[in-house]
Amino acid sequence: MATLRVRDVSKSFGVTRALRSISLDFQPGEVHAVLGENGAGKSTLMNILGGLIAPDGGEILLDEKAVRINSPRDARNLGIEMVHQHFMLVPNFTVAENLALSQAANLEPVLNAQKVAEPLLGAAKALSWEFDPEAKVAELTVGVQQRLEITKCLVSSCRILILDEPTASLSGAEITELFGVIRNLKSGGITVIIIAHKLREILTIADRASVLRQGDFIGTVEIANTTENELARMMLGTSEPPNQQNSRQEFGEIAVSWSGHQVRRGEILGIGGVDGNGQVELAEMLAGITNPPSDLQLPKNVAYIPQDRQLDGLALSMSVNDNLLVTSSLLDGRFVSPVQAQKAATQLIEKFQIKVNSSEDMAGSLSGGNQQKIVVARNLMQTPDLLVTVNPTRGLDFNAAKFVHDQFREAAANGAAVILISTDRDELALLADRTLYLARGILKATMEDAIG
Amino acid sequence: MILTFLIFGLPVGSSFRLIAEGAFSDKIAISRTLVAMTPMLLTGIGMTFAWRAGMYNIGGEGQFICGGLAGAALFQAVPSAPSWLLLLATCIGGMLIAVFAGWLQIKRGVPLVISTILLNFIALQFLDWACAGPLKDPVGGVPLSKRLPETSMLLRFDRQTDLHSGTVYALVIAALAYIFLFLTPEGFRIRLVGQNTRVARSNRMKPNQIQLGAMAISGALCGLAGGIEYVGISGQIGTSFSQNWGFLAIPVALLGSLHPLGVIASALYFGALFAGCNNLARYSSAQNSIIYIMQAVAVLIVVALGQWSRQRETKVHNE
Repeated sequence: MATLRVRDVSKSFGVTRALRSISLDFQPGEVHAVLGENGAGKSTLMNILGGLIAPDGGEILLDEKAVRINSPRDARNLGIEMVHQHFMLVPNFTVAENLALSQAANLEPVLNAQKVAEPLLGAAKALSWEFDPEAKVAELTVGVQQRLEITKCLVSSCRILILDEPTASLSGAEITELFGVIRNLKSGGITVIIIAHKLREILTIADRASVLRQGDFIGTVEIANTTENELARMMLGTSEPPNQQNSRQEFGEIAVSWSGHQVRRGEILGIGGVDGNGQVELAEMLAGITNPPSDLQLPKNVAYIPQDRQLDGLALSMSVNDNLLVTSSLLDGRFVSPVQAQKAATQLIEKFQIKVNSSEDMAGSLSGGNQQKIVVARNLMQTPDLLVTVNPTRGLDFNAAKFVHDQFREAAANGAAVILISTDRDELALLADRTLYLARGILKATMEDAIG
Repeated sequence: MILTFLIFGLPVGSSFRLIAEGAFSDKIAISRTLVAMTPMLLTGIGMTFAWRAGMYNIGGEGQFICGGLAGAALFQAVPSAPSWLLLLATCIGGMLIAVFAGWLQIKRGVPLVISTILLNFIALQFLDWACAGPLKDPVGGVPLSKRLPETSMLLRFDRQTDLHSGTVYALVIAALAYIFLFLTPEGFRIRLVGQNTRVARSNRMKPNQIQLGAMAISGALCGLAGGIEYVGISGQIGTSFSQNWGFLAIPVALLGSLHPLGVIASALYFGALFAGCNNLARYSSAQNSIIYIMQAVAVLIVVALGQWSRQRETKVHNE
């Protein structure tokens, strides 16, 4: 049982103050959520606790003793384990090898990965997780990779487990399952610190929640005594209700049709379902990227916002200018004038409120929300007839997600047919005029049909 | 560098002086620098196109040789071919072998690095065979192709030096390469594909076609480098036709940050080193191998300096 206290911890990056004198307590055996928008300082705080970043000032007390956490190894020695938002797995290694790697400090000269992994696999089994130790990580689903990440932390010394956005890439069922495991860990006396964007998830799993806003500590509340709106107000500093439904007008002519399905101009068709049921394949077909079926009727101007902005959306090491140029009509001419490209980019940056120091910044240096704004901006600048998008707000904070949603509504209002493929039921409920569900590549009318 | 001189037992001061004199001291030295720069500039620009598109072409040497071979073969078949036609043939020769390697990667999954390296060896052996066989000049006893008549050669600016119009062509091509890569839609697509094929794909571009196109340009430029060497300098090809110009293309291109204007500077640097070290080898006790050792050392120094200043920059930035 360990009490972790953070006292007056501050951290600046250059001129940006990421944390301003933060003080909060984590009680033994609780699930403690840390909430805040992108850039609120959550990850910085977690990285300080995990020994990845050194604080500029303040102290950390573990069981009332001041401790210094200068490296992840220090953190581990103190019983603090961390699961990062982006998986830290070697895709070409097996499950056992990845687990052994996490124990790198205790390795013998001749590696027997199976043997090293044994205790961790045993601990996972106690949580009813079974792995094939010989399976390659690259071949596992995202949900199983997430389990493996947590399994890496199940060393016997673990007293505090930090989960940085563990639900970001999980489907509904996987999230429920994960929460079961978190409760199990909690009953074993482990303190679980969890970062998540979705308030509803926090309300189901957490005992207490602490809110950060732009580097300031706002407060800690008991989940039992709070509401979604109150948490949102603490995070955003306004009492505006999280979302409002737009009133819908009549739809226009048919913009796209395929195998008996059709979407009209101005209509937002939601497509739900569990990840891995053909979402990307459907999207690429509708976006005209892969071989279209003979009965697919596409309009002229099709915009596509792919699911993974870092893999499919952006060239991260190219400038914001260049990334905005990708869909530009400037590419239709003989020459591309850098001056014009810059001018067009500056307009988009202004219109879509993309936060950059300069349009010459590398796309990879921007936050997730601003990266997604680039993809959205360049797809919506030339009023599309059809907009196809897959999980467009995954990993975005509340304001960035709201911005993207508003843009979609506006595109629909301007006459685009919108096909929103999303595994997030809240997002579908919020935006879609009607919803279909994908099951093994086939569209069904209801979620029940899709599951059954 | 100093250490290299010491290891070879050379006096440090006069060695530096010999290198500098050999590269820049007079008309003849400067022309030697420029003549050595020319093939490296073209192959370096060629590498820039491929690498910018994410095609790691290591086959500059093979493409250079195939260019020269194609030119010599055309001359053998049509002795009256004018120099521009010979140069066109060399472009096509280099292009074919490069596109073949690109095709192997895209359609058959053979990694380009492996195929281009192996094709270099094939090209070298083919050169040996061709120079001793079908292309051999029946008059001489050595394995060399027939010499081009003076009228088919490129213009020489000065009777005393080897400097020829090919150097001007190479500089013009480098400038055009800059315009193409940075100011046209096709150039943008090449750079985009090189950074992230999937972005290009999800925006309905055709990465495979773009990459093959970049390989074609790359091979054509390497072939042309061989052609200009053939039509501009040697007038015939032999087994030692290329002095590693195609291999040197890679450090030239990388040192020039894969930017055509940077490649001009780095090709000039390499050219000066080549001429300077030749001079050193000629007038000191050093052997010819010092040329290559000095080149390698000089490149390492520039790379290390670049890295060092970048680190300092980021340090300042972080503070």
